[in-house]
Amino acid sequence: MEVEKGKTAKYLREKLGGMPEKAKENLKEFNGIKKLMLDALKEEDLTVKQMSEKINMPTDQVMYYLMSLVKYGFVKTGDIDDMDEYYTYKLNK
Amino acid sequence: MENTVKNITYDALVIGAGIAGGETALNLANTGYKVLLVDKELSVGGKMIMLSKVFPTLDCAACITTPKVSEISRHPNITIFTGSEVGKIRKLSDNEFVAQVTRQPRYVHVEDCTACQLCEKACPVNVRDQYQFGLIGRKAAFIPFSICSPKAAAIDIENCTLCGACEKACPTNCIDFTMEVETMELHVKTVVIATGFNLFNAEKMPRYGYGVYKNVITAQQMERELAPTRPFNTVLRPSDGKVPDKIAYVLCVGSRDASIGNPVCSQICCMYSIKQAQLLMGTLPMADVTIYYINIRSFGKGFEEFYEQAKGMGVNFVKGKIGRISEKENGNLILRYEDINEGKLQEAEHDMVILSTGVLPNTGIDKFFENQKLQLDPYDFVAQSDMLVSPSKTSIDGVFVAGTATGPMDIPDSILSAGAASSEAISYLIQQS
Repeated sequence: MEVEKGKTAKYLREKLGGMPEKAKENLKEFNGIKKLMLDALKEEDLTVKQMSEKINMPTDQVMYYLMSLVKYGFVKTGDIDDMDEYYTYKLNK
Repeated sequence: MENTVKNITYDALVIGAGIAGGETALNLANTGYKVLLVDKELSVGGKMIMLSKVFPTLDCAACITTPKVSEISRHPNITIFTGSEVGKIRKLSDNEFVAQVTRQPRYVHVEDCTACQLCEKACPVNVRDQYQFGLIGRKAAFIPFSICSPKAAAIDIENCTLCGACEKACPTNCIDFTMEVETMELHVKTVVIATGFNLFNAEKMPRYGYGVYKNVITAQQMERELAPTRPFNTVLRPSDGKVPDKIAYVLCVGSRDASIGNPVCSQICCMYSIKQAQLLMGTLPMADVTIYYINIRSFGKGFEEFYEQAKGMGVNFVKGKIGRISEKENGNLILRYEDINEGKLQEAEHDMVILSTGVLPNTGIDKFFENQKLQLDPYDFVAQSDMLVSPSKTSIDGVFVAGTATGPMDIPDSILSAGAASSEAISYLIQQS
């Protein structure tokens, strides 16, 4: 079968009978968390702990998702607190 | 559907493209032999390319590895198959082996990819990055790591939603979801095993809490935290992003311990822990770093001086065996240990614990060979049939071994071992011709 260059994902999707279920669930979860975090940061700069309290998520999970958002350029690292313990994170506008 | 390509001939097949395999391939290729270098990972460079610095010189690991990897990648006599695994090897005659190699689809035409990362930017997926040991996420369309070779994107098909965003963003149309598994039967004259080692899975020692307590991490994870391409902006606790100020290292996790089936010393843990302790003191000058050890084995050139240097910098060395680690509500960790010098049970609180995990064999290598028996040593590393005179000879004539596939060793010893393996392979090829 001749597959058009640049449209091969469609070919595999059709071959597999749609979007893989696990990947779909994972994407939905990430998009939800991303929105929650970015909305929270719109209001104020936050540390991991503060974010955890604000969106009601365990701190280790906040750490993972927030650091991923820093990597992807949505969030940037702010200042460290007076005790030199926790950084704040802010939107990368 | 699988594609099968047959009857491709090389002088040597090198299995594993870490520092030992790469060095072996380079030596063979520089002598004029055609080499096929196979690695299951998406990049050559093995474990060394992921390190921050090397001991005892504290040279940048990437600065040493990158030129070597670049030379391997550009060498006209070396063909590299990444994302590929060797299945079965059959010996037909004295200098003829047939090897079955399976190449997983990367879904990217490497030769056309410019590593522009536009696919990565367009991909909406986030999954744990195996090259950062799960500390941070990566996309499903991704460049494995910044100094990978080949420097090209790959698609993680298991986590891909097949949305096609990467294809739309790709300026060279190099993404191709029609790629399939390729199985090849290759004819080679000699085989070099450079499959490296595995690190002990710390989850097998539940008393240390790895995988349960988020501030108990492995030295490999700390290595990433200390690397220039680190997952966080500085060294942070994975549980809550706190800058740690009381850090403990636990040595001999999964080595020198018959109870978990590995009574041998891993040879590198003492020194890489001391290296990391020194790097930590540079990154976090106010931090207290304590190393809990049974014995410090600083046996190599410059190692004892390196150990003394760490003590001079203020690293605290405690001769103690850790019995149990428990977690406090604030994420700090209580280490209960036997103070060997005092003969007492003690407790100490730290806000981060690093487990220096031991070296284990990469099992299953002996299963490669169909009609020959590859001997393993009592610890499942590849047995050296004549360790003193021909250290890379195995029980199969024409099959050689390099690096940590023979047992735990550090980087300089791996490179020396690769030199021996390539010399013996060259000698074998000359004799057979």
